[in-house]
Amino acid sequence: MLLLAACSDSNDNGGTTGASGGTGGAEAELTVSAASSLTEAFGEIGEAFEAASPGTTMTFNFGPSDGLAGQINEGAPVDVFASASPTWMDSVQDEGPGVTDRADFAQNRLAIIVPADNLAGIENLDDLTEDHVQLVLAAEGVPAGDYAREIFQNAGISTAALANVVSNEEDVKAVITKVMSGEADAGIGYITDVTLDVAEQVTLIPIPEEVNVIATYPIAVVNGSQEADLAQGFVEYVLGDGQQTLAEYGFLPPP
Amino acid sequence: MATDSRRSPSTASSPLRRGRIPAGFVVLAALGVALVALPLLGLVLRTPWSRIADVLTSETALAALRLSLIVATTAAAISFVLGFPLAWVLVRSTFPGKTLVRAIVVLPLVMPPVVAGVGLLAAFGRRSGLIGSWLYEWFGIQLTFTTAAAVLAATFVSFPLTVLALEAGLRGLDERLEDAAATLGASRWYVLRRVTVPLLGPQIAAALVLSWARALGEFGATITFAGNLQGRTQTLPLAVFEQLQTDTDAAFAVSMLLIFLAFAVILGLRGRFLR
Amino acid sequence: MTLAVDVTARRGAFEVRAAFEAEAGRTVALLGPNGSGKSTLVSTIAGLVPPVEGTIALDDAVLDDPANDVHVQPERRPIGVVFQDLLLFPHLSAIENAAFPLRARGVPKPEARQRASELLARLGLANRAGAHPRDLSGGEAQRVALARALIVEPALLLLDEPLSALDVGARMRVRELIRDELAGFPGVRIIVTHDPVEASILAERLVLLEDGRVSQTGTPEEIRAAPRSRYAADLVGMNAFRGILEPLEVGAGLLVTDEGDIVAPWPDGFEGGEAIGLLRPSDVTLSLDLPDGSARNVVQGRVTSISVEGDRARVRIASAPPLVAEVTLASVERLGLRDGVVTWASFKAVEVEILPA
Repeated sequence: MLLLAACSDSNDNGGTTGASGGTGGAEAELTVSAASSLTEAFGEIGEAFEAASPGTTMTFNFGPSDGLAGQINEGAPVDVFASASPTWMDSVQDEGPGVTDRADFAQNRLAIIVPADNLAGIENLDDLTEDHVQLVLAAEGVPAGDYAREIFQNAGISTAALANVVSNEEDVKAVITKVMSGEADAGIGYITDVTLDVAEQVTLIPIPEEVNVIATYPIAVVNGSQEADLAQGFVEYVLGDGQQTLAEYGFLPPP
Repeated sequence: MATDSRRSPSTASSPLRRGRIPAGFVVLAALGVALVALPLLGLVLRTPWSRIADVLTSETALAALRLSLIVATTAAAISFVLGFPLAWVLVRSTFPGKTLVRAIVVLPLVMPPVVAGVGLLAAFGRRSGLIGSWLYEWFGIQLTFTTAAAVLAATFVSFPLTVLALEAGLRGLDERLEDAAATLGASRWYVLRRVTVPLLGPQIAAALVLSWARALGEFGATITFAGNLQGRTQTLPLAVFEQLQTDTDAAFAVSMLLIFLAFAVILGLRGRFLR
Repeated sequence: MTLAVDVTARRGAFEVRAAFEAEAGRTVALLGPNGSGKSTLVSTIAGLVPPVEGTIALDDAVLDDPANDVHVQPERRPIGVVFQDLLLFPHLSAIENAAFPLRARGVPKPEARQRASELLARLGLANRAGAHPRDLSGGEAQRVALARALIVEPALLLLDEPLSALDVGARMRVRELIRDELAGFPGVRIIVTHDPVEASILAERLVLLEDGRVSQTGTPEEIRAAPRSRYAADLVGMNAFRGILEPLEVGAGLLVTDEGDIVAPWPDGFEGGEAIGLLRPSDVTLSLDLPDGSARNVVQGRVTSISVEGDRARVRIASAPPLVAEVTLASVERLGLRDGVVTWASFKAVEVEILPA
């Protein structure tokens, strides 16, 4: 997680509407803070955007949405923010520099993630309440962590399941890592987290729709961005051409 | 001791010496102090002093404090129990491969803590760990996600400091004093207890303080190997990190607590450093 | 009780070979220049450096016998050692230092302190018992070290250069103290020193150590009467010349040295080669004019120093070879001898004693 120098720019650029898509020729750098669950998808989208807008360099900060919001509110020079939950976009909007062109660009679902050999024999949510199950969640405040706790509440297994939590990770990727290594018996992550890279080391166990949570992902231009036009262009790209990439990685379309 | 007159204890530098510090040195020294003092000053100013009582008596803070004290103290103790004999062997004996052993022992100092955490997993993880998998399969013992893991991580990073400080102390010891004690009838154990260790007092204190402070501040290896759970593995640095995401004010408050702790120990043991 | 030492000891590249005995009641001084191996011998007798070969035994108790794998650890030897640098424990007070050997043997603290306190008082340190070594004067520290060595009433007492670190005033006082303590000490006593005066005053027997070998043993008087080495001769103030003795004529030879040649008698059975010539200063005659007597050795040189001892004077002359002459004060006056004055010196060949080197 990149902690950028806190140089607060109190330029309140009210939203500018400029040309959409690529700006031609000029050298520009765009900084995007995005939830860690977007790592692979945005990586690809970023490359495509760079190709479509010559002279643009994309820099991504991936991390837990709460931490990213916190950095933006402290003055980190970020141009675009993509969060895994509306909560943290609200935070930037209300307690931070404010946002423009906010739009929901994807949805996601959560699932139980277990190591490929699943030695603990987890098959469903109830199994997570068994004694001696070592469960790993993202920390409270991290969207994946909050969603997981919401799911437990929906299923009425909060007490027992939370008692099995052995570690609260800083973001959902760390949850996947702990499960991958086999040190944890199970974790709650996004269905999109089972990427090609990890598919052989983990197994995905779906969560019943009745208790599952739909994660809504908003994206917006952060006020004060020095590349407001380019930023808006990126947002539009994500909402347009980027949708196919997101779908390929398992994201659901926005509501 | 060549004269019959009483020797006076060392005095402050003579007036002639005092005026002789080059101006450039003073400037550089001041910059050095500023480098360390400014972040501290920033922390002090940003801390929400009105909220601090609430934050520090919260369950999270208290649990982290308690855990940090236990982990750091245990780590320092283990480092000492293992480090003293090792320092002794390194200073007072020769064996093939001694240079290599010394290099290995000092390695955790220069290792990025997360790498140390990954290494600990590779050794003690229950699934793929060299020793850890054996422990788990045969005895059902799992180290990851336990307080013991936090202690292990803290010990790993603080061990080299203990060994280095004790080595320096042993090297500076006049072995002839131990010889003299032997001729006066002291067994090897008695010499160790009554001559060597007392004479090493300041160096032992330094070793303990340094390793305790390093153990207190350990983060990367802990979060990678032990995980992060309040009351079990969430030491003060991990608590600060987690709160930094959501409640920055609280993070500052807990950071101040860490700093007070460190200051207290360093200043409290200051008397021991100067004999 | 007798300590019998017959060892070869090695420290680094340096080897010492020594055989001598020390009886209880007669202090022995190991006397030799720095580098002669005295400290190595002390360490060996103390048990810190096992000998390479040989034996060390105190009456029937064998302390060292490497051939039979015998080596008694220092802490088990009935010894008390006062080291050259004293090696007082800096973190302990005077009384704690003195009590250390008792405490190390398990004597309860109150009793140990009591005995230490008495001993320190006897050595005149009653009011310094609580002081730490860094606050003690040289002489006081020496006495604490002595107390520490004496307190267990060891069978063997070893003093390594006990006075060398003291200034003149302290040296005399402490020397008297040591002499008194030694006189009352019932065990074997060995002093190691480079100072012949110290050795003569404190010891009844001298063992001369040179270059890792014992060159002579005897009482101070015996050695003074018949020194058998250059070192011994230097010690007792004799002239000593080292060179190669070449045949000169029947019964006489020429001792060729770097600084000059002298005529000396040819010893029976001597085959020639390296030799030491000894000449008593009192056998040297000084005169202002060229002497024309039967003396075969006649040299001339400037007076470089005159030191008065009682009613005699020792006159150093920068001749070839350089000489020390001992004459009466009256002669000094009569001859008008002063620094810088040129004088003739002569001595008979037969007055030179030749020792094979």
